[in-house]
Amino acid sequence: MSIDRLTPGSQTSLREANRARVVKAVQQRGALTQVELAGVTGLSPATVSNIVKELTAAGVLATSPTSRSGRRAQQVTLARALGLVGGVHFGIRTLRVALADTSGRTVAEQRMPLAPDHRADIGLDRVALLLEEMLEQVDATRDELLRVGVGVAAPIDPADGRVTTRGLLRGWDGVRVADVLGEQLAVPIDVDNDANLGALAESRQGAAREFRDVVYIRVSNGVGAGLVLGGRVHHGRSGAAGEIGHSTIDENGPVCRCGNRGCLEMYVAAPSLLAMLEPTHGTLSMQGVLDRAAAGDLGCVRVLEDSGRHLGVAVANLCNLVDPEIVVVGGQVAAAGELLLDPLRASLARRAVPSDEGPVPVVLAEFGTQSELRGAVLLALENVEIARGGPR
Amino acid sequence: MTPAPVLALRKVTKTFGAVRALVDVDLAVHPGEVLAVVGDNGAGKSTVVKILAGVLGPDTGTLELDGNVVTFPTPGAARAAGVTAVFQDLALCDNLDVVENIFLGHELRERGRRSGALLDEVEMERRAWELLGELAVRLPSVRVPVGTLSGGQRQAVAILRALHGEPRVVLLDEPTSALGVAQTAEVLTLVERLRDRGLGVVLVSHSMADVHAVADRIAVLRLGRHATTFDARTTSYEDLLAAVTGARVPGPTAGPPRRVSHEADARSSATGGER
Repeated sequence: MSIDRLTPGSQTSLREANRARVVKAVQQRGALTQVELAGVTGLSPATVSNIVKELTAAGVLATSPTSRSGRRAQQVTLARALGLVGGVHFGIRTLRVALADTSGRTVAEQRMPLAPDHRADIGLDRVALLLEEMLEQVDATRDELLRVGVGVAAPIDPADGRVTTRGLLRGWDGVRVADVLGEQLAVPIDVDNDANLGALAESRQGAAREFRDVVYIRVSNGVGAGLVLGGRVHHGRSGAAGEIGHSTIDENGPVCRCGNRGCLEMYVAAPSLLAMLEPTHGTLSMQGVLDRAAAGDLGCVRVLEDSGRHLGVAVANLCNLVDPEIVVVGGQVAAAGELLLDPLRASLARRAVPSDEGPVPVVLAEFGTQSELRGAVLLALENVEIARGGPR
Repeated sequence: MTPAPVLALRKVTKTFGAVRALVDVDLAVHPGEVLAVVGDNGAGKSTVVKILAGVLGPDTGTLELDGNVVTFPTPGAARAAGVTAVFQDLALCDNLDVVENIFLGHELRERGRRSGALLDEVEMERRAWELLGELAVRLPSVRVPVGTLSGGQRQAVAILRALHGEPRVVLLDEPTSALGVAQTAEVLTLVERLRDRGLGVVLVSHSMADVHAVADRIAVLRLGRHATTFDARTTSYEDLLAAVTGARVPGPTAGPPRRVSHEADARSSATGGER
């Protein structure tokens, strides 16, 4: 995003670069008014207006009348005819797949439960079939699919789309996700860690869209964090940045799936909460726990509160390192809302370095359990090569 | 301790002539739990469902509902006790629409001055939409003939019909066979929603991947005998396949912590020790 704000480049490529800048801005944000476009791109409103006119005539962009703070404005989106992108989120127990048009609007969506320790080959195969069936549902052909973004609940090397840790998502060790799925679908595939994609979605379009330094925490069957620093998702050496779920809470705690002991995940993730409740409440699903907690079941309320408190400790450590402007909490457990966030804020405030600015705001993800899927769509959208001469 | 099973088979044996379909089978499903029953062809899966649904009676052994011995002489008796089944053929009327199918046999009648004379179509349609909304089932319309719906949607309609009369246990016989991936996804999501409502679900299926995705416990039948029950969360795909085919898995993966052979201790050992 910072590049977008630089003064436009040399004379020779000025025109082409400006067009690219406008398309990119619309791609990233879905829908913008011309005035907002001028603000984002650093171009003058007159230039933006001219470029939008040209690109609309070329069939790349579409405009529609809208209003902003009571004034009439032109809303700019990408033209639908340009094609569709896919978004895929492989969680620990759930698969989500979406199809979106190039303005980022979801046109089809599907969710599927996954087996524990599900296999990459079965999963990727199903995704390919699902995307094909979903394309059929929206009356699109296969060659309208331009690109697919994939989020996986394991550290991913963003350069080659490979799972870089062993044992975190057992059926996926070392899998080259981009290569395998790319071969099946014959389109380019972008892969990233799911929490990173959640962070991307929330910082671009969700609860943290005003901020440039953002911590996104995903609490579901696993726990992960995505860091947005200076407006960019931070990956680290091999994509393992933000693996907060495996930071140690208790050196002598229970052994975690990663092989270490007393990881945060063992105290706050859904399977641990369910195991804590099993002796008294029997078999419950996470949704069952959330429903009971909302109805005032003391045991369910308690495990969610404890989960929030433990999260607060880990988030405090993270905040002391990163000093974010905002902390966004998403994932299925976050659907507990203030029941989780209140104790989280309290325990965060006790441990984070006090600031004259006051405590860092902690908010719920705007896209709920869909943040990662949304982020996968955004990732694909950002990388789509759109021929600026219009549809081929 | 843990809540009692809502429905259980105790030492059930069933023979058809020389064929011993079930031998001393113990099974139990708890409220808010998905119990999967898997096995090879002829393992006795369908017989289990038929006995639970009151289609067949056991030769020996008993059925227990909330810990009390019961008999289901007919499927109607099972339904009255809160146990309904959706069989593979779905038994839908293709020429009737979604609302008519859901309320088939227990249509609502209009109240008021012409009391009982006419069907209350408006109320039935409203309730159908309500049910569809609660379970997030996506249908184009509730007024299209069921014959025009996809396999997954038909399965969903059959399940909705089974939910009539607030059952406590739903038996699903091969709900994902012959479905595409998108439809399988919808049916599996629906199974999760049934569990979230606190229903006990017995899911009979061939597809290990589907079963493993939604089940809490997986009972493996082999040649009419109850081979073992797995805790789905801690069982690997290989262990499951090995148990179904009767292969023995060498090494520690086949050891006791992952495998529990009796219903009673299946639950206690799942909570103890490893967590």
